[in-house]
Amino acid sequence: MVEYTSTEMMAVCGAHAVKDGERVFAGTGLPVLGAMLAKVTHAPNAIIIYEGGNVDTQNKDLALSVADSRLGYRAAASIGLIETLGFLMMGGKVDVGFLGAAQIDEFGNINTSYIGDFDAPKVRLPGSGGGNDIASSAGRIILMFTHDARKFVKKLDYLTSPGHLSGPGSREKLGLIGGGPSLVVTDKCQMDFDPDSKRIRLKSVHPGVTVDWVKENVMFDLSIGKDVPITAEPTKHELEKLRGLDPQGIYLAKGQK
Amino acid sequence: MNTRLSTKQAFLPPFTANSASQFSPGGCNMIEPTVEDKRITLEEAVKKVHDGAHIAWGGFGYQRPPEAFAMELIRQKKRNLRIYTCGSEHDLDILTGAEVCLEYEVAFFAIEALGLAPNLRRRIKEGKVKFEDYSNLAMALRFLGGALNVPFMPIRHMIGSDMLEKTQLRKDKAKVIDCPFTGNPVVLLPSVQADFGVICAQKADMQGNVQLYGIKGEDNEIVRGSKTTIVCAEEIISNEEIRRAPDLTAIPGLYVDYVVEVPFGSWPMQVYGLYDYDLPHLQMYMQMCKTEEGWQEYMNEWILDVGNHKGLLKKIGAKRLKELRADPEFGY
Repeated sequence: MVEYTSTEMMAVCGAHAVKDGERVFAGTGLPVLGAMLAKVTHAPNAIIIYEGGNVDTQNKDLALSVADSRLGYRAAASIGLIETLGFLMMGGKVDVGFLGAAQIDEFGNINTSYIGDFDAPKVRLPGSGGGNDIASSAGRIILMFTHDARKFVKKLDYLTSPGHLSGPGSREKLGLIGGGPSLVVTDKCQMDFDPDSKRIRLKSVHPGVTVDWVKENVMFDLSIGKDVPITAEPTKHELEKLRGLDPQGIYLAKGQK
Repeated sequence: MNTRLSTKQAFLPPFTANSASQFSPGGCNMIEPTVEDKRITLEEAVKKVHDGAHIAWGGFGYQRPPEAFAMELIRQKKRNLRIYTCGSEHDLDILTGAEVCLEYEVAFFAIEALGLAPNLRRRIKEGKVKFEDYSNLAMALRFLGGALNVPFMPIRHMIGSDMLEKTQLRKDKAKVIDCPFTGNPVVLLPSVQADFGVICAQKADMQGNVQLYGIKGEDNEIVRGSKTTIVCAEEIISNEEIRRAPDLTAIPGLYVDYVVEVPFGSWPMQVYGLYDYDLPHLQMYMQMCKTEEGWQEYMNEWILDVGNHKGLLKKIGAKRLKELRADPEFGY
């Protein structure tokens, strides 16, 4: 049996969500690893774009920032923000975007701005950055974050980036061209969205995690099918490749066995 | 000199006195134009910024932020600034800690992979900071609108989010209208023409012609849209070097008011092709600034007591600066 951490599991799930040849917008952290892993395994023709301006990257070292000089090494182009988030993203030329979240609701709407009251917040989070731009216009969105019941809320403290808003048709009504969230990856499970109701539902639980645990660790009624499959474990090959991308454990050191 | 930054020159024949006569204005029987010298010192540049000024702030993420400029703003005890930018990090956090700037129209404020901005966190708890949140593209378009001298820019993003309604600084943050052509909803953003635009660049000549290498973030738009523009250049090059490779000029000098030579002007962050970020320093910063006492200690030690940018470089030490120098093959 292969040994792997919960963080490695997340990165591999993220990678599986990328198809060969797709244009992928990655943010810093685990999404970077997910996108890079896809490219060195099943999706060699994926084109990775970073909002700072690097397009079609082939970096050899891991980046700490979406503007990191490391992303410039062997990139096809180093341009600017209006290029990446404007011409490419708002222009409708990006297939998939990776995002993190501090809170999401049952329609996959995202908060990365404030915890608590807007006028006297408990915590000010980083804010939108390019998150709102990506959530608005990418073909589909993959959300990645560690599982915590407080992150799956009935009502967001602040809506930074649009998911499926209030349900079917609401994105179209506002002229948002992107398809919205399609997958949520945590260190415990994967969730997707019912195509009719646009509500989040349990897709699979990672090995060792029970459906009941997931149920208890979201703060809204989670739609759960009859037979929830167990997420496929990472292969030895995937883990070797993944660890090779982050030999110092900058992002991977965080997970539990 | 870094080979990646001089690749273009390598393609060209060596510039000799003989070849110069073929191409120089004198060779075409033109009268020699005056080369205006826009160079001033960092202290002089910062002196021009009045209390209450609005500044469009260059750099993006860890790339080319005006760190030395921020530190000098702190030394000169500027107050009540308002900063407009897409995403900045350590630079904005020290300005917030020193209470030089407590009003931000931005998209992103954190130290990315290293965590939330520690000084901002405390100043928010104290209720001292006000934000107007936009997305990255929204801020970049606001600068583009300023540069084009149009009052607003349309965007298809931000709609459906709380960023449209929740405001702290502006009455006119954004408006949703029905497009007069299609009838579909569209968001309008107020353009930005800030009092000052401040960016860092790898190279500039004394007239303010700027070469930017690597990603540009929103710097091209900031410089073109601000009322007074200050460029902090890592290196001053000759006007001849600019004119031999005009396609490398990202910003023509006519947009630039002042040029300041500031080597390592983005330390402890990075400049593509020249030097990498100082990760141990940033980690120390994150650790120290968990408390107000720690921040005050950091500010005294790394900003105030060193006296000026030269003093800072002396404190960092030639050995460390050499270690941070980029490998020409990789650019970091």
